[in-house]
Amino acid sequence: MIVAAVLVTYAVVLAVVTPRLLRGAAWAERAPRLAVCLWQALSLSVLAAAGLAGLALAVPSVPLSTDLAEMLQACVVSLRDSYATPSSASVAGSGLAVVAALLIRVAFCATAGLIRSARARREHALKLAILARPAPTLGAVVLAHETAAAYCLPGRNQRIVLTTAALDALGERELAAVLAHERAHLVGRHHLALAGADVLVRAFPAAPLFTVARREIGRLLELAADDAASRRHTRLSIATALAVLAAGGGEGVGLAAGGPTALGRVHRLLAPANPLGLVRTMAGGTLAVVLLLVPIAIAAGPLLGLGHTLYCPLPAVPPPAS
Amino acid sequence: MRGLGALEAAVMDLLWSAGEPRTVRAVFEELQQRRRIAYTTVMTVMDNLHRKGWLRRELVGRAYLYEPVRSQEEHNAELMGEALADSLDPATTLIHFVERMSPEEARLLSDALARATHGAGTQGSRNDANRPGQRQLPSDGQT
Repeated sequence: MIVAAVLVTYAVVLAVVTPRLLRGAAWAERAPRLAVCLWQALSLSVLAAAGLAGLALAVPSVPLSTDLAEMLQACVVSLRDSYATPSSASVAGSGLAVVAALLIRVAFCATAGLIRSARARREHALKLAILARPAPTLGAVVLAHETAAAYCLPGRNQRIVLTTAALDALGERELAAVLAHERAHLVGRHHLALAGADVLVRAFPAAPLFTVARREIGRLLELAADDAASRRHTRLSIATALAVLAAGGGEGVGLAAGGPTALGRVHRLLAPANPLGLVRTMAGGTLAVVLLLVPIAIAAGPLLGLGHTLYCPLPAVPPPAS
Repeated sequence: MRGLGALEAAVMDLLWSAGEPRTVRAVFEELQQRRRIAYTTVMTVMDNLHRKGWLRRELVGRAYLYEPVRSQEEHNAELMGEALADSLDPATTLIHFVERMSPEEARLLSDALARATHGAGTQGSRNDANRPGQRQLPSDGQT
């Protein structure tokens, strides 16, 4: 019971406290990809802690003891003591139910999301194939429309789409910067990170952590693509392209929210590049790994302890740090 | 652009430029001059386009006459509407270069840009700085 309680507490604290610490942190803008990894590690860690808490409730009641040797019996007793869950079937059952519900929910939302977006992308690609003209020199397709816009369609039929108005409005350098930005999205497979975050939002809409993570990952990936583009193009051309395309020109198309992101990106691009130093990047990476390991360590704690028990024939787990 | 939609594109282009209804036979004969293709393939493609709402058809004599339901411009407008209005489950379907902004927000943005380029002095990109401002003006001719 204690293990389950610790895991649940860990998950709740992580889900409540960390979004406030991490959201809009200044260093995140300096290392957007690292920040994306941290959001992902955070989400997975909370999810794993919740799932393992369910397992921890269930483990002690697994009918391991009945037909095994007596020595093993001692082992099981010890294990039970460690997890200290009243071995009633109802507790174990609800523990397993939690695990099953989590797994099924995530799997269902992931599958549904994948199918839906794959279909939407295919539809869109087919329409583009009929309506847009390939521009091989740009590595993009061009659609005749009076709104200046640029986007990429990821996935199997991946392509970058520009409107004729965007081609007219962008200078040569800005156009190259836009294309580099979009290519960075495609090469980095940013849509997969977005899809993963989306699955969690859809699976657990009541958990603010996942909503915040989804929004932040979307924003940070834009910054990452800006950084990638800025390796070959001036930051000013990217910022200028942003201003041109955010204004759009042409009417008849609904405006989407999200201005602050673009404004933030322009301010960031106009300041000199300021990437996070090596030491702090390493520290962040380590933190991500730790986040992933902590729930496993908590859940496996009693099992690890068991390895040192004299009469337990289960030294499967080597003593740590030797 | 081979593969997905290549044949559909060829058929639609042909019918858009034809400006009048055509039979499958007529489309087939024109396409055949440019590529090796089977009559049944053309028939299937045109039937699919009809089913998906790109073509309408009318039985004249013993053959269907096909024509585009809408102009290419109308299709373009609809596609961009879908893409820009985020009706497509945007998160995982499309990734935009930048979200569209209200004119108010867009002005803030180009102000920031103008300040930065003026501050930088001879950055050598007067064109860059001016361009967003130009785009700000509603261009009546385009709407």
